[in-house]
Amino acid sequence: MIESIIIVGLMTSMIYALLALGFTLIYGVSGVVNLAHGTFFMIGAYMFYLITGGVFHLDPRLGLIAAPVVVGIMGAVTYRIIIHPVIRDEVSTLVATVCLAIATQQLVLLGTKGLFMVPVEPIVPGYTTFWGLALTYSSILAFAISAALYIFLWIFISKVKVGKAMRAASQDLEATMLMGVNTTRVYILTMALSTALAAVAGISISSAYLGVAYPYMWFHPLALSFAIVILGGLGSIKGTLVGGFIVGYAETAVKTLYPTSASIVTVVPMVIIVLVLVLRPKGLFGKRIELEE
Amino acid sequence: MVTTYLRRAYSSFLAHVVDIPPRLLAFILILLWASVPVFKPDGYTLTILVSTNIWAIFVASWDLLVGFTGQMSLGHALFYGIGGYSTALLFKYFQLPVWITIPLSVVVVFSFAIILSYPALRVKGPYLAMTTMAFALIASSVLYIFPEITGADSGVRKLPLLFPLKLFRREGISALESVYQQTLAYYYFTFISLVITLLILYKVTHSKTGIVLVSVLDDELASKASGINVDKFKVMAFALSALFAGYAGCLQVHFVSFADPGLFALTFSFLPVIVTILGGIGTIYGPVIGVFVYQILNEIFFRKVIKIPLEIYQAKLLIFIAVILILVIKWPRGIGRFITDKLKDLEEARDIDERGPRIWKTYKKKGKKIGVIARVRARLKK
Amino acid sequence: MHLLQIENLTKRFGGLTAVDNVSFHIDEGEIVGVIGPNGAGKTTLFNLISGFLNADSGIVKFKGENITRAAPHEIVNKGIARTFQVVRPFRHLPVIANVMVALRSPRGSRKIEWIKTFERKAVDMLEDVGLTELMLEPAENVGHGDLKRLEMARALATEPDLLMLDEPFGGLNPLETDFLTKSIQRIHLDNPMRGIVIVEHKLYALMKIVKRVIVLHQGRKIAEGKPEEIAKNKEVIEVYMGKAM
Repeated sequence: MIESIIIVGLMTSMIYALLALGFTLIYGVSGVVNLAHGTFFMIGAYMFYLITGGVFHLDPRLGLIAAPVVVGIMGAVTYRIIIHPVIRDEVSTLVATVCLAIATQQLVLLGTKGLFMVPVEPIVPGYTTFWGLALTYSSILAFAISAALYIFLWIFISKVKVGKAMRAASQDLEATMLMGVNTTRVYILTMALSTALAAVAGISISSAYLGVAYPYMWFHPLALSFAIVILGGLGSIKGTLVGGFIVGYAETAVKTLYPTSASIVTVVPMVIIVLVLVLRPKGLFGKRIELEE
Repeated sequence: MVTTYLRRAYSSFLAHVVDIPPRLLAFILILLWASVPVFKPDGYTLTILVSTNIWAIFVASWDLLVGFTGQMSLGHALFYGIGGYSTALLFKYFQLPVWITIPLSVVVVFSFAIILSYPALRVKGPYLAMTTMAFALIASSVLYIFPEITGADSGVRKLPLLFPLKLFRREGISALESVYQQTLAYYYFTFISLVITLLILYKVTHSKTGIVLVSVLDDELASKASGINVDKFKVMAFALSALFAGYAGCLQVHFVSFADPGLFALTFSFLPVIVTILGGIGTIYGPVIGVFVYQILNEIFFRKVIKIPLEIYQAKLLIFIAVILILVIKWPRGIGRFITDKLKDLEEARDIDERGPRIWKTYKKKGKKIGVIARVRARLKK
Repeated sequence: MHLLQIENLTKRFGGLTAVDNVSFHIDEGEIVGVIGPNGAGKTTLFNLISGFLNADSGIVKFKGENITRAAPHEIVNKGIARTFQVVRPFRHLPVIANVMVALRSPRGSRKIEWIKTFERKAVDMLEDVGLTELMLEPAENVGHGDLKRLEMARALATEPDLLMLDEPFGGLNPLETDFLTKSIQRIHLDNPMRGIVIVEHKLYALMKIVKRVIVLHQGRKIAEGKPEEIAKNKEVIEVYMGKAM
């Protein structure tokens, strides 16, 4: 039992961390709280289904690459059409993204016409045993990919020029603009990255763990993202990783110990959010808010 | 004596309602809404209208919190549900009559909101939004932790109705007709509740307190620098908003005679968000108009294509997409505002921004200005 | 007892010490200026005194009472009012409502007698700064110079015993500068016991009004004295001109 929690927790936490990284990226860089982040998670899963199972019947490995790319493009477009016009108004951004999330849910419901759950193929069939547990190759692959992507992005943001531009924008928007950086383009790129990451997480979870995709699956990832980012602290890549693991392990532990109670699992991120905000609002690694701004 | 009083009331009515176009429109709409039964809607439609009245109270309360004080709440169903379950449980365990349980429940919700506001208001913006959502979800999960008390999925059943059916049973009236009369009674009760709610909310927002709330929305720091205890006002707005939401919950529960976890539904929390953009944020009437539009659209669509359930989804879908488009294209603060602004332009009113809460209006009619600030001017001239 | 007493006030932001062991005092009826190059810590000092920032160490005493840890609105209600360097009007409210907010505070509503209403009092305040024309205009439609005056009206509405102005002359043309100078002088005459502290860059305008000047540089107080003395102080000149020659 303990081994199960440790190993499964490890693997899912990494995926969650990647998911939350996308969320914190767009928030840190442009200040946008994308309540439709979970929606892109879901779209990723459905896109993967369409490419590999439903429509195109292509090789899952191809789907693993193609789907996030498609979703990334969708994210960029979403930013341009929906978010950018209202970016200055916080309330409107929240409302717009919420509406997008619900509208997408309805669209998916409509589009699947009664096929409530859609089967998603594993990326790689087969499993292996380790430490007394049966682990699918799919889940191991998902873990590896998530870890690799996370490291890659960490480096990207620190070293590569565009990544640095993103960091700069998150710290001081005006200065970044004054230095001639086209912030809108940076935002679009960030959004594309963010949604692509969500898509990867969506594919990973739905193919390696759930086995299905369904129209309401967007809320839980959103809650998780929020919990992780709040726990880890604003704008901290390290914090998101740590937060991802704490939240991931918490959820895995609860799931393993109370396998019958489905609703308890949704509550876990919620409780974490409330606890963090009440006890330590800046999170573990967040920068403290000084002048109450 | 009576005639002078009537005459004074009449001229006051003219000055305060008829002369101000939006108020006139509101008055006409209220009259129309009150006279709906004249058009003999069928039982089902009437039921929908009762629900709409209840929802209108709910969304109006949301606007006080979000549109006026700027505190985003995505979990408003929390108070709705607590109101509903309070009155349900009070009946279940103490067998108290409705006219006691409802006021008590309102007090419960109010107190709960005050307690909740201490941690809740420490966070701002999107964090508050997520926290409120979290609270609502936690609350509905709590229901399942104590199924003996709350009845989990089936909830608390067999609650007394506000207007028991036996009141309407009479000689020569069919059972169906008495049910209809009962629904009619509900309609008027909820309608009056709605009007009173709107009046109270209007009074609060158009007072000095309202000004302070807007100042909190605009610039908390500057408000503090003006000596305002911002936290106190935030708590007040929070609690007052919760109060009305809870009351709406009570009404709902005694309308359908049961309380179930659906009261806390996330979709219900999102309703005011969607509907308020339709109708205009930062006004109290905006979301009310929005919810009516929403319900009527859903209704009509359902009516027209009653056999194909997917069409219902389509209606909602269109509404959500419409809201996004409204936001993004032209009217970030709602289409209802746009319309009322146009109305004001009719009377050479001052040009006030579309965004932001509507508090101060001055209207000119034949050179005479009306409105609170206008009195200032008038006094100055002396 | 001094009206305002600052003792060893220190504030650090990470590695940067914005205010470094600053001490001074202000007495009733004094008009004092605080100057220093950009980044000297002037606004931080204001934020510390008015409660918007918490000091790392040191004491702020107002009328003998320790207000170092008090909340901003509490401090206002004790009698210290401040304006902001970058104006912060309530955008959605008309000019008069901006003032009415301040009047709604406990201290602001204190002196409103039953005969006078909030509106009348608000109009009075606007008259004091010459903004009655714009009374009903939404604040966001009002020009910068007028907004500065609105800031002042709002601060005065709370009838402070200590008025703190953060760069009141910022962005004003010569005409407005002149008007403001006269306004400040009049405000002082109206209430001679009231202390006024002004942070300002426009030294020529400032030196005309104040009786005493405090000079900050990199968070430390480097000089204090009458305007004429400060103008001749070598260290002050160096700090402003840069270490030339």
